[in-house]
Amino acid sequence: MSLDVSSREPVELLSTRDRTLDAVDKSNRLSSTKTGGKMVAEYWENIFTAKERGKHVVWYNGTALNPIFQAAGLEWCHGEAFSARLAAMHLEGPAQAAGEEYGYIGELCSYARTHLGCAVMTQKGITEKQNGIVGMVDQEELASKLPSPDFFVNAYAGCSTGQQWDAMTYRVFGKEFPIFNVSLPMIWGNKKDAGYLRGSEWEKTPLYVEEQLKKLIEFIEYQTKRPFDWDALSENMFYIKRASELRLEAMALCAAAPTPATYWDWVASIAPINFMPANQALVDYFQGVKDEIQYRLDNTISAVQNEKYRVYFDGIMNWNKLGWLTRKFAEYDVAVVAGRYTHDSFWQEPQLIDLDRPLLGMAQHYLICPINHGLKIMEELLIKRCDEYGIDGIAFHSTRTCRAMTNPQHILARTAETERGIKSFFFEGDVADAAFYKDESLESGLVAMLESIDMQRSRALV
Amino acid sequence: MLDENAFATQDAFATLAVAATDPVGYAQSWKARTGRLVIGSFPMNFPSELTHATGALPVIIQESRTTITEGRSLLPEFYCSYTRSLADQAAVGELDVFDAFVLADHCVQLLGAVDVIRWAKPQIPTHFAQFISSMDDPWSQGQVIDKIASLRVEVEEIVGTTITPEALAHSIRLYNENRRLLREFYDLRKAGRVRITASQMQTLVKSSMVMDIEEHTALLRDILADLESRAGEPGQDATGSLVRIHLSGHFCAPPRPELLDVIEECGALVINDDLYHGFRYISTDVPEDVDPFDALALWYLDRNISAPCGTRVQRNVDWDSYLIGSLDESGADGVITLMAKFCEPLMLYYPELKKALDGHDIPVLLIETEHEGVAVESVRTRVETFVERIRRNKTAVPAVASGPILATN
Repeated sequence: MSLDVSSREPVELLSTRDRTLDAVDKSNRLSSTKTGGKMVAEYWENIFTAKERGKHVVWYNGTALNPIFQAAGLEWCHGEAFSARLAAMHLEGPAQAAGEEYGYIGELCSYARTHLGCAVMTQKGITEKQNGIVGMVDQEELASKLPSPDFFVNAYAGCSTGQQWDAMTYRVFGKEFPIFNVSLPMIWGNKKDAGYLRGSEWEKTPLYVEEQLKKLIEFIEYQTKRPFDWDALSENMFYIKRASELRLEAMALCAAAPTPATYWDWVASIAPINFMPANQALVDYFQGVKDEIQYRLDNTISAVQNEKYRVYFDGIMNWNKLGWLTRKFAEYDVAVVAGRYTHDSFWQEPQLIDLDRPLLGMAQHYLICPINHGLKIMEELLIKRCDEYGIDGIAFHSTRTCRAMTNPQHILARTAETERGIKSFFFEGDVADAAFYKDESLESGLVAMLESIDMQRSRALV
Repeated sequence: MLDENAFATQDAFATLAVAATDPVGYAQSWKARTGRLVIGSFPMNFPSELTHATGALPVIIQESRTTITEGRSLLPEFYCSYTRSLADQAAVGELDVFDAFVLADHCVQLLGAVDVIRWAKPQIPTHFAQFISSMDDPWSQGQVIDKIASLRVEVEEIVGTTITPEALAHSIRLYNENRRLLREFYDLRKAGRVRITASQMQTLVKSSMVMDIEEHTALLRDILADLESRAGEPGQDATGSLVRIHLSGHFCAPPRPELLDVIEECGALVINDDLYHGFRYISTDVPEDVDPFDALALWYLDRNISAPCGTRVQRNVDWDSYLIGSLDESGADGVITLMAKFCEPLMLYYPELKKALDGHDIPVLLIETEHEGVAVESVRTRVETFVERIRRNKTAVPAVASGPILATN
């Protein structure tokens, strides 16, 4: 080893944001999801002009209340969705800086502090407008474009921060706009009869939430001064139910090896299923995704060249690194085929939706958010997914500022190893703060896990 | 100062200090002495009266001072010190004295830690009845009443007894009396009649969370009687040169006593607090004039009005307004906010507190704490500077040419 510094090559210190992998891109993403990207971009552009169009705007976080908002003729801004969008576009900086300046510490949920930063910028814009100042807040900055709310609705499952975050947004706006809280208890799963979608706790809790949703609708009627359109809600849920069925059917096709689509394609499809307007276009989107996957299956087109390992992704998405991670895993012949965030979320049990009683099915879905279960149910779901998709290993995204997703991970890793002999590794990152991502941690962990899997396979051959 | 060496106080305070320092040891000896069950609860809202009414010993499980070892592989490092300590205590067997665990709070990190306990100790019953955290909805009270009822069933089953309204009412009276006595210590301190250090106050409150409540109350009475016999007139203490400080924040687990001592060594006099291991815990009594089970629900809701908490949401109640009011009442010169690192409720609320304090020209200093302790000399420097800044402001010469001086009648 030479200690002569003059002969050393300079080290590449660019962030993963500013460089691309040297290796050949072995990933093969679905092209149909690009339609979703366009839908989402148009959705946000539309939101930005809501006030000019004289629309009522609701800010909300957490669960997918949008079918209710849509039926009420509102425009809806989902806080996490906007934070994720900023992060995915690498435009989160100004919002996070505004949040930091306001006083939010960097260890706070990065979804929350990005969105709170947006709130600070929007509030500043209102104040400046009232004071007759124009243009102090840079209107070109995407983070500052959210229209101010007419009211807030909070319905956050599984994470105490979710409810407190909206309470703080309410305060950032000087408590000038009303807020409605829907309280979603955790499905703790402590009773002997407890399990996923079963047991007395499961039977009882959605009824309590359904009653709150009725009160929410009364609140919205009061705010909008309009009677709620129940038929529109049923119609919205019809589209969501159908879109969800298609999504699940398409996901099921990915049990095939090699897989025709990956977790990253499902990540790209989160926004449509989570907050896009419920209409035929939504159904068409998922029909298109399913058709492409079916086409790939029929023509033996795989999502990763030379798929050698099938991996499950546990943790919330690292939105700054979607493209990077897609290529990174593929580089090692890894197909990430399923994940807790994509497969155990977002209207994932469409059979629960009864169009004649839509609120109950909605309440049930809000409660089966993948961070709202006790450990026992989490373990049940993990093993089920591993069996369905023939999983060889698990990548645990140890999400620095998302304790809700991180909570059960260490024990889930042990459960997978004990119950199925499935290897796993942890890597550090975050939902919307690129500073926490450690590329070396991912790479060394992934390589070590793959070597373990190789050894397992060798032993199995002996 | 509360003289720990004074004859009448010495033994009593020492007993409280031992229990506060080693709650598990206290629980073990209580269990051996009485042959009864010990039920652990988690902060910050489980009503201990319910457990007490069964005859079991209610203990609020504390952060251990033990270095976290096994727990590191059960919860990530970016969890608060209390929850990481809980996971560690479960893994290394420090929680084995408990016959059951109960909780009512929904903090995401706490639930993660309790899930670890459930996993590590499957033979020990662990019950969670999630109290609604949105306090002023029309259904809030009914929801809490329902949860109290389900907790009642659970603890009755654990202990194998039935909680009668009379037994619960008796427990409520005992706990109310204990809280009332502890508030007397606060009143004496605020009035400047006695000097009780922040770490001593923590001992008084923390020991009440883990000890047999009647034993605790008897000891408090001894100490209080001694203190009152020696207390000065209001405002007559010899602490006039010290800067009067309100300690704020720190939920769930107590800040380390040595940190509190360092703060007071820097010329600060802690005269009030809203810490959980402080006034927040004892702020509110359970109503005695209604059905005792319903009274526990009312207590939970009342508490967020008496001492608003960042972990609850309520439209008509603000922690920041409460804090300003509390400072007005105590005459504190400044606020030191103690924040357990990674505590999300406090991270979320702190900017609102700071904004309110800044709006009233009240100096505030934020100190983050960790399980492993803090760099004492660094804290000392920061607190000394903070105290000095307040002193200077207090003695600043008023600006010349202000309106009223020049005004004529």
